[in-house]
Amino acid sequence: MMPDLKPKKWAGAIRTVTLGAGSRRPLTVGGGNGLPLHTFEGEFPHRPLLALEINGADAAGADLVMVRVNGSPEEAAAEVRAVLDRVDVPLIVKGPGAGPKQNEVLARVAEEFSGEGLVLHSACQEDYKTLAAVAVAYGHVLAAESPIDMNLAKQLNILLADASMDLNRVLIDPFTGGLGYGLEYTYSVMERIRLAALGGDAMLNSPMICLVGPEAWKAKEARVSGVNWEVATALPLIEAGAEVVVLRHPESLARLRGQLDSWFGGDACR
Amino acid sequence: MPLTGLQIFKLLPNTNCRECGVPTCLAFAMKLAAGKESLDKCPYASEQAKAALGAASAPPIRGVTIGRGERAITVGEETVFFRHEKTFVRRPGLFQVLGTQGLDESWLSTRIERAGETFQVDGVAVVEAPAAPELCAAAAERGFPVAVLASTPEGAAAMAERIRDHRPLLVPPAGTNSAAYVSLAARLGIPLVVSGIDLAVEAARCGVADLLLEPPGDNPQSLHHSLTAIRRGALDRIHPGLGYPVFLRAGKFETAVLGISKFASVLAIEKPGIETWLPLWTLRQNIYTDPQKPLQMDAGVYPIGEPDDKSPLLVTTNFSLTYFVVSSELESAGLASHLAVVEAEGLSVLTAWSAGKFSGDRVAKALRAMRATERVSHRTVIIPGYVSIISGELEDALNEGWRVLVGPQEASDLAPYFRDVWDAVRAE
Repeated sequence: MMPDLKPKKWAGAIRTVTLGAGSRRPLTVGGGNGLPLHTFEGEFPHRPLLALEINGADAAGADLVMVRVNGSPEEAAAEVRAVLDRVDVPLIVKGPGAGPKQNEVLARVAEEFSGEGLVLHSACQEDYKTLAAVAVAYGHVLAAESPIDMNLAKQLNILLADASMDLNRVLIDPFTGGLGYGLEYTYSVMERIRLAALGGDAMLNSPMICLVGPEAWKAKEARVSGVNWEVATALPLIEAGAEVVVLRHPESLARLRGQLDSWFGGDACR
Repeated sequence: MPLTGLQIFKLLPNTNCRECGVPTCLAFAMKLAAGKESLDKCPYASEQAKAALGAASAPPIRGVTIGRGERAITVGEETVFFRHEKTFVRRPGLFQVLGTQGLDESWLSTRIERAGETFQVDGVAVVEAPAAPELCAAAAERGFPVAVLASTPEGAAAMAERIRDHRPLLVPPAGTNSAAYVSLAARLGIPLVVSGIDLAVEAARCGVADLLLEPPGDNPQSLHHSLTAIRRGALDRIHPGLGYPVFLRAGKFETAVLGISKFASVLAIEKPGIETWLPLWTLRQNIYTDPQKPLQMDAGVYPIGEPDDKSPLLVTTNFSLTYFVVSSELESAGLASHLAVVEAEGLSVLTAWSAGKFSGDRVAKALRAMRATERVSHRTVIIPGYVSIISGELEDALNEGWRVLVGPQEASDLAPYFRDVWDAVRAE
C-alpha cells in the first residue's frame, strides 16, 4: 500500500527537562531522538505538555498552568501562592516583560517558592543574568526567549551556560507568531532548530515552549473562529517541535490532548 | 534523488570524443548532474541513457490539474520536505463536501480578502447520491472544479460522465482496489485518486497519468506517518507509484490542519462556514508563503474604519505582517484612521529603515505620491516609534507646516497612545 521508509537516524537528541518539584507533581518533557511526532522512527519518552493560562480558575485538565504576574513583588508572590495552593501541577510564571521590574518580581517569586521548580518566563539576550542567577539559586527552570531567530536562540543558551545555568533546566521560546500574523516564521525557525538539535548541536537541543493562547486570542479572527483558531495555531507548532504549549481555552486543550493521545496513548504523561 | 555524476557517467560512451564541447565524458556527466548541460549535446548517448536521465529529471511529484477554465486548480510539483529548504509551490485545494444539502449559494460564493489573496471555496466534492449528477452539473456550470466522492462504479460513472468535459477528480471509496474506477478514469481521461502505490503504477500502466494518492490512516498518528512517508519517499524516488500529490478526506478540523501543514494537495472539507474555513485558509496562506519572499502590500492609503479628514494619518512599511498587526490593533480599538503604506520591499519597519528604505525623504516622497497628505485637514502624521529618528528629516521634507508625531513602538500600544497623545494634540 504505502512505502516502507528507511528510518532516519540522528546524531543528537532533545534534552529532558523536568518541570515542577517540591510540592508539585514533577513532569518531564523532551528526550526525543527524532523529528517531532515521528514516532515511527524514533524514541520519544515524553509527550508534549499542554498548559492552561489561568487567572483564578483551576487547572481544568491541563498538565501544567501559567500565571501572569504584574504589580509589586508582594502582589506577585501572593498571586503565585494562591495558584500553588489551588493546584498541584507545575507552574509557569510569566513576568511583565524584560526589564528591572520583571527581574525584581520574578526574583522575589523565585526566592519565596524556592524548590518548586517553577518555569520563569522569560530571559532574553538583553536581560538574563538575574533570572539565571535565581533559577540556579532557587532550583527553577528558565524559559529562554529569542525573536524568531535560530542564531539568537543559540547565542542565548551559550550566554546562559556561561552564567552557570544548567541547560537541562532551560526551555527555548522562539516567540510565537500568531496564525495569520507570522506563524510561518515561528514554524520554520522551530523546524530548523529541531534539525540542528538532532544534528548534534548541544546549544540548541532544548525542548521548545510556545505561548499560543495569548497570540491566538489577540487576533480579530478569533472572534469568529474561536477555539478552531487556537487549535490551528497550536497543532502546526506541535508538528514543528513545540513540547510545552500554553493555551487559553480549555476546549482547545481537550481537543489537542485528543490529538496527542493518538501518538502517545491515553496514558498520563506523569 | 536525481542521478549523481557518477551514475550518469556509467550511462555514457566513455570515449572522451569532445563533440559535446567538454574534454571528458566524466566532466560532461558532472555538468549534467549539476543541471548545467543537456544530454542532447552528446551525439552518442544511448536510448537507455536518454530514458534514465529523462525519468530522473522529471519532477518528483507530478502536477495534476482538476477542473477547467478560470478556476481550474493544479496541485503537486513540490520539491522539498521542509518549506525552509526552498518553498512549497502549489497551494492545496480546499473542496467543500456536498451531500444531500446541495449547493448553498451564499457559502459557495463567499470571498474573503487577506494579505492580497482571495479566499474562497476552491472546488466541491459531491457525495454519490441519486441527484448527484445534477448537482455536479450545477457546480461545474458555476465554474467549480468537482471531485466525485463515489460509493459505486455505476454511481461514479453517472456523475463523472455528466461533467466529463470539466475534468472532475474521481475519488473511489477509501481503500478501494477496484479496477472499475481505473477503467472509468482511463475512458474519460480524468484524474483519479488511488489508495496505494502499487495501484498507482497499475493505473499509470492503464493510461491514467494524472493520479492522487489517498494515504491510509484513520487517526492522526497513522495519517501523519503516511503523509510523511509519501513526501519523503517521493522526493527520494524510492518507488514510481509515489510521485503524486495527496488527496485527503478531512472529516475533522484537526485532520485538515494536519493535511495543510503536512503535504496534502486536495482536501475535502466536510463542514462549511467561516468558523472552520477561515483558520484553514489562513494556515494554508502561511505555510505556502515563499520564505524568501515576504508578503507585501501594495503601497497606498488604507482606510481603517470610516475615517474622515480629521482622522489621524499613520505611516508604516508594506510588509504584510506589519500592516496586519497595525490595522488589526486600530480596528480592535475602533480607531478610524488613514494608514499610509510605503513601498519598502516588504521589509519590517526597523529593517526597512536600516536599509535606507524608510528615511524621512523617502517617506515624504511616498506620502506625496499617494496623496496621503490630501486626505486630512490637519497636518499631522504619526510614524512608528522604532523610527523616531526620522521625525526631523520627515518634517523638513514635508514642509508646509507638517508635524510629525512619534507613535508607540508596539502596535499593541496604539490604543493607549491615541487616548493619551492624539486626543491631547487634537485639542490644541
